[in-house]
Amino acid sequence: MASIDSKDIHKIIVACDAGMGSSVMLASQLRKQLKGQQIQVEHTPVNSIPADADVVVCHAGLAARAKVTAPDKVLISFQLFIGDPAVTKLVNTIKNGGTVDA
Amino acid sequence: MPETAPLPLDPRAIRLNASAGGRDDAIRQCGEALLAVGAVEEAYIDTMIERERSISTYVGEGVAIPHGTLAAKEAVRHDAISVVRFPAGVDWDGDRVTVCIGIAARGNGHVALLAQLAEILMEPDQAQALREATEVAEVVRLLQSNINEEDESQ
Repeated sequence: MASIDSKDIHKIIVACDAGMGSSVMLASQLRKQLKGQQIQVEHTPVNSIPADADVVVCHAGLAARAKVTAPDKVLISFQLFIGDPAVTKLVNTIKNGGTVDA
Repeated sequence: MPETAPLPLDPRAIRLNASAGGRDDAIRQCGEALLAVGAVEEAYIDTMIERERSISTYVGEGVAIPHGTLAAKEAVRHDAISVVRFPAGVDWDGDRVTVCIGIAARGNGHVALLAQLAEILMEPDQAQALREATEVAEVVRLLQSNINEEDESQ
């Protein structure tokens, strides 16, 4: 299982199928919640996750595809676009320090 | 977001008293509203339904945000959203959807609107106001209220 220390997270990618809808919404929420943390949050289609991503966040239904395109990344999957516990946990770990694992 | 694209919420793409026979019909109406303002080609609409079959675009609070597939970006002429309200509700794989926000995007023109939608959905009162809106101006006000304050720097 990939894992990363919260202080080594510089770029989070929110991946979705088209990079058009839900990922855009979640990325904007994350950006707001992580304001002041020196972490870049971007949204991209799941098949073009950039190599310098530290953490990939995607819907559970896309996790298998994300694992193929970014096999060595820490992958957080969620079910709810707004207020998912996995995403809340990621934000809290970044804010409080700790290890984020897939 | 470096570019200052015009806000892609055209009042002509807001329909507040629609009814649909089911999820696919509702999505088709969202697509037709995008087509009516010249944002997409007709082929885009089928890809919205295809996209929905892979993963639901239900985002909570009675709202779904149907959009096309990555391959369908070719069929998008400009960034736009449509808002179609179904007062009687539509069964969305077990969830009840009252407001459908159709999305067509080539670039980032819709990002601020979706960020604002996320804000609305986090506030139950605002989400209720969106579900119950009967005036186009009210929908425009809700979706654009904080846009000037949005910080989308990446």
